[in-house]
Amino acid sequence: MDSIISTTELRKSFRSKHGAIEAVRGVSIEVGRGEIFGFLGPNGAGKTTTLRMLTTLLPIDGGSATVAGIDVARHPQQVRTRIGYVSQLGGADDLATGRENLILQGRLYGGDLASVTARSEMLMEVLDIAEFADRRVRTYSGGQRRRLDVALGIVHQPEVLFLDEPSTGLDPQNRANLWDHVRKLRDDGTTVFLTTHYLEEADALCDRLMIIDHGKIIIEGSPRDLKRDVAGDAVLLNLHDSERVLTRAKSLLEAESYVREVKTEGDQLRLYVEDGSTALPQLMRLLDGERIGLRSISLSEPTLDDVFLRETGRSLRDTGTTTEGAAA
Amino acid sequence: MKTARDISLLFSRYTLQMLRNPVWLFVGFSTPVLYLALFTPLLKHFAGVPGFPKGGALDVFLPGILALLAYASGASMGFSTIFELQAGVIERFRVTPASRFAILIGPILSGLMMMMVFDAVVVAVGYGFGFHVDWLGLLVLAVLLAVLAGLMAAFSVATALVTKDISSFAAIINGLNLPLLLLAGVLLPISLGPLWMRVIAHFDPLYYLVQASRALAVGSFGNAAVWQAFAVLVPLCIIVLTWATRVFRKAVA
Repeated sequence: MDSIISTTELRKSFRSKHGAIEAVRGVSIEVGRGEIFGFLGPNGAGKTTTLRMLTTLLPIDGGSATVAGIDVARHPQQVRTRIGYVSQLGGADDLATGRENLILQGRLYGGDLASVTARSEMLMEVLDIAEFADRRVRTYSGGQRRRLDVALGIVHQPEVLFLDEPSTGLDPQNRANLWDHVRKLRDDGTTVFLTTHYLEEADALCDRLMIIDHGKIIIEGSPRDLKRDVAGDAVLLNLHDSERVLTRAKSLLEAESYVREVKTEGDQLRLYVEDGSTALPQLMRLLDGERIGLRSISLSEPTLDDVFLRETGRSLRDTGTTTEGAAA
Repeated sequence: MKTARDISLLFSRYTLQMLRNPVWLFVGFSTPVLYLALFTPLLKHFAGVPGFPKGGALDVFLPGILALLAYASGASMGFSTIFELQAGVIERFRVTPASRFAILIGPILSGLMMMMVFDAVVVAVGYGFGFHVDWLGLLVLAVLLAVLAGLMAAFSVATALVTKDISSFAAIINGLNLPLLLLAGVLLPISLGPLWMRVIAHFDPLYYLVQASRALAVGSFGNAAVWQAFAVLVPLCIIVLTWATRVFRKAVA
């Protein structure tokens, strides 16, 4: 793979009242040129810290990182000219107009006024900003502001664009709109590295992703491979007289070769199977033969949450701050 | 070269932001004028009292106002730093290849320019009320005012970057304001105070500016207060600026 971002055993710890906190504990990443790469994990998993090291904002404690072929720790200034970064906060000037923001940003990257103006015009057109480009940013809606933030991140045509939680605070429509713009960037050859704790975002947008938890990489792959290989299809069983038969049913099912895993969820059972369509009739036959009554059975496509659940034993939706993303 | 370009870009940006903030402009212009209008009348009877410096009440008081403005405009720079940190603006600049020194000094220079405008208003209004203007003295004073304001601004911005939140930053700045301003004799000359006050005043950088400003306003360049102010404030300004640049280069997490 032609890697544009490559890290080995990246580490970062912070001092706190309770001693050192290891925020990133040996993260190795390879991101290919021209892909949308996602970092999925709950808040506090170390996503933003990793991103801030890669974007020269935080010193690297251990390990090494190269971005666009340049060592981040040794030549941060050269890295800066090649990357764009959109933080969670955005950081556009409220009292300036969108156009003024873009032109200043382009000039800080060293562009002359004429070329920066032309580039800004182009971006305002592409990202649908032109209409309100001469209004002050404080009057913008969330979606308008986000598009400006992205424009600010790519005004100097970076090879890699880093997006930190890009769709936080956006409604579903604006989120989908943002995703379209990000895909367009990828299609034009920009590599996009994003962090997210929204399952839907990681699933819909990323070509490849890594799941990170407690500062460590849990697993990586394309969303489709992860869901198929790691999680399998999920079957939810609701049994008659469940309190009496639940334990027996569970051990019975666990013995079946096509069942990968059985979990108790309240008075229901959730199983992960290789292939849902062939497993359903087998399951029904088995339970019938054992005289275990079935109230309902449902098959669901696996989600990245199933992957997360399998690898960490926790649900990403239960980590507290993901309800908004889960509901959307 | 590149640094100069970055400084001018960030200087213009900050100036534009300030000019678009009507509340800030109004307070900026009215505060010094209010000081003049509401405090000078109280000083009328001080002139001629033992310990009170030579000259009319306004000649003693107005230079103090200029020193106060320099102190206040510098010390308050950090408030916008905190705001820009929290809005992600500083982080956005720090990811660009812009010179780190320019990101720090651009806004500070803009603040200095605004301060000079306010100073001009104070002198013009004071002149109307009978302040005796010594042009050359004011010119030298302008340099000293800029040095102190620059020193305070660098200190304030660096403190903001270290504390990162408004309540601890405000506590530090407000905590310093009172002793520094009173000991400097900004409003009432410290020469009116007892010996112990006059001694500890020498540990207050603002004291040297206030002393020099009163001497320069009446054109006594030979006064020891003038060279003392340069000798104390210029090195201090360089030290604090160096420290602030280092804080800026380091992580602003």
